[in-house]
Amino acid sequence: MKLYYFSEMPHHEFPDAEGEKYPSLRLEFPNRFFDPAIASANYRRYLDEYEAADQAGFDGLMINEHHSTPSCVNVGVNMTAAILARITRRAKILLLGNILPIEDNPVRMAEQIAMADCISGGRVLSGFVRGVGVETWWANTNPVHNRERFEECHDLILKCWTAPGPFRWEGRHYHFRHVNPWCLPLQKPHPPIWTPGTASPETAIWAGERGYTYVPFLVPFDIARELFDYYREGAARAGRTVTPDNLGFLICAVAADTRARALEAGRHFVWRMGPTLRAPAEFMSPVGMRSRAASQFALRSRPRALSSMSYEELVEEHFIIAGTPDEVADRFAHVQRELGIGHLLLEAQESRMDHPTTMRSIELMGAKVIPAISSL
Amino acid sequence: MPAREETVRVGGIDVHTWIGGRGAPLLVLHGAGGNRGFTRWVERAAEHFTVWAPTHPGFGRSGDADWMEGIDDLARFYLWFMDAAGLARPHVLGHSIGGWTAAEMASMSPASIDRLVLVAPAGLKPETGEVLDVFYCSPRELRDAMVHDPKRIPEWDELFGRPPTPAEAEIATRNREMAARLTWKPYMHNPRLAHFLPRVANPALIVWGRGDRLVPVECGEQYRRLLPNATLSVLEDCGHLPPIEHPERFARLVVDFLGGAGRP
Repeated sequence: MKLYYFSEMPHHEFPDAEGEKYPSLRLEFPNRFFDPAIASANYRRYLDEYEAADQAGFDGLMINEHHSTPSCVNVGVNMTAAILARITRRAKILLLGNILPIEDNPVRMAEQIAMADCISGGRVLSGFVRGVGVETWWANTNPVHNRERFEECHDLILKCWTAPGPFRWEGRHYHFRHVNPWCLPLQKPHPPIWTPGTASPETAIWAGERGYTYVPFLVPFDIARELFDYYREGAARAGRTVTPDNLGFLICAVAADTRARALEAGRHFVWRMGPTLRAPAEFMSPVGMRSRAASQFALRSRPRALSSMSYEELVEEHFIIAGTPDEVADRFAHVQRELGIGHLLLEAQESRMDHPTTMRSIELMGAKVIPAISSL
Repeated sequence: MPAREETVRVGGIDVHTWIGGRGAPLLVLHGAGGNRGFTRWVERAAEHFTVWAPTHPGFGRSGDADWMEGIDDLARFYLWFMDAAGLARPHVLGHSIGGWTAAEMASMSPASIDRLVLVAPAGLKPETGEVLDVFYCSPRELRDAMVHDPKRIPEWDELFGRPPTPAEAEIATRNREMAARLTWKPYMHNPRLAHFLPRVANPALIVWGRGDRLVPVECGEQYRRLLPNATLSVLEDCGHLPPIEHPERFARLVVDFLGGAGRP
């Protein structure tokens, strides 16, 4: 099983009481609480940590993108990918991912991912996501077009990477008369494609049909298994065999020298389970963004909101893994046995987890955890 | 004579339509909340006019129109609907996005329409204020912002007083999705409409609630300025739903303007 290091690049640099005055930290929490001087230091620090994760032996470095929220101030996944492409040497760079439905120019996106792939020497794993509703508000893209735009944007990017230019694209949502990108991926036919899931059976089936790597985020094991079944349904439809390499899972994890220290550090993950997800339904899932099937699945897939669970429950249910390297390796092996996955994505820094704690966790994972689980 | 329900097929779409009353035809176009059928004010109007109240494509029990992109599409569709239904030069009354639709129709084909009644129509960008973002609000916030005083609305309990059945909730979701499809960007307005409104010389009545918290009453002033032959009537103690909030007053205004009693 391969391990991936991930930080949301949080900007938790304000009094929590201020955040609580607003209906949500997303969209509504005023950006006067964004401190550019602190952000400048944080960005450098987060990139140092990614660099350390590369050197420690992580198989991949995952990055993502959000907008209008202190929970993630990585506002350009391709920009970060380009930096990591140059400052790291070995690990895959997992973009999970580009938010396709809100992109107005898929050709530019195809070029940027291709350029990161070239600079990195072919290390890009290109994740495509539908985004949460917040990003739809941020971009002011009609949510009723979300799935259509996701699929059409994907189709055009793939055509950019695989069909000789120049060509013309006249679709429903995208119209380009002269497509001839002068930057193509180093990997052929194109970088591997990944997609995450939390609730939409359609996305799992869609990924399965195409053989993309599919990664449920922070859902209970039984829900992940159900989504993997949808994935297998899609794969079977296309006559594809599903291997562990097709399946991943995302959790939060930190290692420390003692169990007590690890459990103390792990508490920082609670912020991303509650306060950063607190929002009216319309912010996260505006009208028309989810199909009826996905809405019904979403109701079932979260029998309990993450925000309603105690830290101890989050640890018990494997949403957060915190312990000594041996303990962490045991828990990772348990997750692997439960789900049969080939990729474990670790949200490994969060909230106000400090630099020394994060670096020590990276170091311990590299020295003891990765060797223990790489053969699983 | 009680209203009847019919299906009018237009461009491959089945349009669920309430029809009732007597007299010259009056086409009534509903707002984003959906077709409430023959409510109290419509019953009054139907004493003088034959009311046609279709449900927009994508709303309620009408067929889908996933291909539509904006209110101008809906306006073109209703001009076609008038042909299909055999409505010769009807009066057209529209509320909220239905009013916007009526204004677009009139700007496309003024000769196809007799008199025009625009009730709190969206469609123009306010000069100072903003149109409330109805998709950003929760259904409860929206319901509270919609009207001036629920306690004084005679049909409140009938229309809003009980939780929706699953079928009604499904229709409400469908209505919101289609409204989003038609009005998302630019939000609730067409920047080109103002350039076409001066073409519409039809006698027009614009009705607004003084306390409208969805579409500011200043938009009523804009419509009055841009339409060459329009009057603006602003109702006190009234929010975004004049036809529901003051059904008797509203019906009288409309019938008087359309010349109900004096016309065959």
